[in-house]
Amino acid sequence: MKRRDFLKWTAVSSAGLALPVGLPLLGHVAQAARGPDLVVARGASTPQAVRAALDALGGMRRFVGRGDVVVLKPNIGWDRAPQYAATTNPDVVGTLAKLCFEAGAKKVRVFDNTVNDARRCYRQSGIADAAAAAGAEMVTMDSRKYRDVRLNGTALKSWPLYGEIFEADKVINVPIAKTHSLSGLTLAMKNWMGVMGGVRFRVHQRLDESLVDLCRVIRPTLTVLDAVRILTANGPTGGDLADVKRLDTVVVGTDQVAVDAFGTTLFGMKPGDLEHVRLAAQAGLGVMDLSKLQIKRIGV
Amino acid sequence: MSELTLTQARRIVQGLFLALFLFLFIQTESKGADELGWPVKLFLDFDPLIFLTTFLSAHRVEGLFWLSLILVGLTAVLGRVFCGWVCPLGTLNNLAGSLRKKKPKPPNPGWFRIKYYVLVGLLATSLFGVQLAGILDPVSLTIRSFSLALYPAMSYAVTSLFDALYRLDLPLVTPSSEALYDLLKKTLLPFRQPWFAQGTFIGLLFLGVLALNLVQRRFWCRFLCPLGALLGLLSRWSVLRRGVSEQCDACGACAGVCQADALPAGKEKWRVSECLVCSNCDDVCPKNAVRFGFLRGSPGGGLDLGRRNVMASFFAGALAVPLLRISPLARPRMSDARLIRPPGSLGEAAFLQSCVRCGECMKVCITGGLQPTLLEAGLEGLWTPVLVPRIGSCEFGCTLCGQVCPTGAIRKLPLEDKQQVRLGHAAIDRGRCLPFAHATPCIVCEETCPTPKKAIWLERVTVRDREGRPVRLQQPHVDLTACIGCGACEKHCPVVGQPAIYVTSAGESRSEEHQLLLQVPTGTPLPYR
Repeated sequence: MKRRDFLKWTAVSSAGLALPVGLPLLGHVAQAARGPDLVVARGASTPQAVRAALDALGGMRRFVGRGDVVVLKPNIGWDRAPQYAATTNPDVVGTLAKLCFEAGAKKVRVFDNTVNDARRCYRQSGIADAAAAAGAEMVTMDSRKYRDVRLNGTALKSWPLYGEIFEADKVINVPIAKTHSLSGLTLAMKNWMGVMGGVRFRVHQRLDESLVDLCRVIRPTLTVLDAVRILTANGPTGGDLADVKRLDTVVVGTDQVAVDAFGTTLFGMKPGDLEHVRLAAQAGLGVMDLSKLQIKRIGV
Repeated sequence: MSELTLTQARRIVQGLFLALFLFLFIQTESKGADELGWPVKLFLDFDPLIFLTTFLSAHRVEGLFWLSLILVGLTAVLGRVFCGWVCPLGTLNNLAGSLRKKKPKPPNPGWFRIKYYVLVGLLATSLFGVQLAGILDPVSLTIRSFSLALYPAMSYAVTSLFDALYRLDLPLVTPSSEALYDLLKKTLLPFRQPWFAQGTFIGLLFLGVLALNLVQRRFWCRFLCPLGALLGLLSRWSVLRRGVSEQCDACGACAGVCQADALPAGKEKWRVSECLVCSNCDDVCPKNAVRFGFLRGSPGGGLDLGRRNVMASFFAGALAVPLLRISPLARPRMSDARLIRPPGSLGEAAFLQSCVRCGECMKVCITGGLQPTLLEAGLEGLWTPVLVPRIGSCEFGCTLCGQVCPTGAIRKLPLEDKQQVRLGHAAIDRGRCLPFAHATPCIVCEETCPTPKKAIWLERVTVRDREGRPVRLQQPHVDLTACIGCGACEKHCPVVGQPAIYVTSAGESRSEEHQLLLQVPTGTPLPYR
């Protein structure tokens, strides 16, 4: 996508925001006929769990087409090895990249605006190796490629976001499930802080609203929540294996609010316990009422 | 095809060593692992001046320093080949000197002795425990100047150029410039633009050294270099000698091409200690009367340093020690609170006796937080490394600074040990902290704290805003038993300018006097000697 197209895109998407909130729900109704809203796959083999989850959702071909440029956005924010559950499981990222290529993707690009040094995070997380093995590109984020995006939100009016997530044909959000002292948990919605530029630590002053504002414009094709290992305390950085719980689970869906709503249950919480999930559902960005979702659980 | 002359061979060798030097320099950067994969401090390991002065001041020998004995041996056999054929600064001086086309005036006949007085002075200071040799040592000087000034300036210039082309967004031009920029980022450019306090100043000093070549070629090597002086002394027994046959008709052609003050036209007066074995005199001789070989007899050209002058240099160096030590900063518990040393640094006194200010640690620091001091550690500590967390904190999983330190001033620690080392402790400024002073939520210091059990804990409180409305939020506190002073909290504190949480050296592992708590937290190593 060229810069001009990008500007058009933001103009159109901003206009879309002004429409009544019924539209996503219409999509939701249409989807009910096509299969489950969420797939929760559990299995000791992470690659198999990811594949099975995608299959149950209609296969990666439903989301990724021939020649697509796909962005995978894992959480790679911290310099930790995979077993500490501070970063997205590399097998989840690697398998998704392979599935994208199998579906005909031209390029798969992987990045995150890390808090610790990016070189170390990419490598220690195991994601650089997994991406390379799958043929995906690990992208070092380029400070010139953040662009001010109008959010028209309640907390954020506009913010510099990484242009590539709007330029890509398809975007897949690949967060890990962890605790966070301010947002309660960091799941899919919170993961978009990893495409924010600027002084992003300032948004903690109104974090929940800011996350909702981000999710007004960032609408991924697919969300894959990694709960192979979850971090139950000392998040989001972790560092103590005693805080890690192994669930061998991935949660897949197209509605990131629904994924986050389900994600709370992994920690024994309720969707409404997360203010940003509540606000997002209220704003019509997704469904948080688990009873209204068709959830398919599979074992591998 | 004619045979390669010695001068041509020398230039090729010089080029190769300069290339090796630059290659190792570029490799002094993390690629994500906690090792570099190259012996990046090799030139420093081979440096006998650093070896000798560190041994005198700190009474310690670091493992690889035995390599410098190879250079000692080589010099004793072949003379100052290091200066003429290897030294990167010497080669850069050659290059800078070639900018001067006019024939220089003959050098002042006594100036070549200055470097010996500099050497004697430095040896005296180090004998009494002050290590200043690294400031003038050519290898240390060059690495420091490249790390802190020339390389960052190069990076800034190149990046600005490509940024400008990117912004112009020209058809054909910008795509190709971006491709080239990509390639440069993968090879020559640093991962991130480095910023160094005093970079401008240190850069100007180095450019000054190069500019002196316009006054006299290899000005630095002839008159000032203490390593050159040390090698000059060692070369007095060298077996490689210069012979002049009877064909010599004293035409004087060699006098003008000598890179130093070795008096090649003086025949028997030739000074072996000044000869860089550049072989210019051999190549230029129209009668082909000069040759270098393993010859008998000793050359006549002495040094004539003068006992008085040598004594004066020695006492000047010795007297510098008390003059430098009367700063209150050198007293226990009076050091600058912001003097946060790299992880694994020796106790301050031993640290200053060992650090040669080569800048390797600052070059390799993954966050760029290690900066050169100016006067924070007293004049004695000029250009030693200090962590400035606001620029970059100490990355929890990184031990690179200890790996590249050539003298062990920063000890090479296993990662598990390094993660226990306290650089100091964080303290919260409640007058600036958002949850304390402004009834505004913020938990960034806690969020970014890297210790497995977070050293910053949050207290849930209800405070009131200006209108008296209750606001529920979390206020941070520092747990001194867990805080290692890495500065991640300070780095990321969103309070602009003076941060609301900051690290001081209070509590640093390496000093008994700097402990805050009566009982040192368990599981942490004892203070380093």
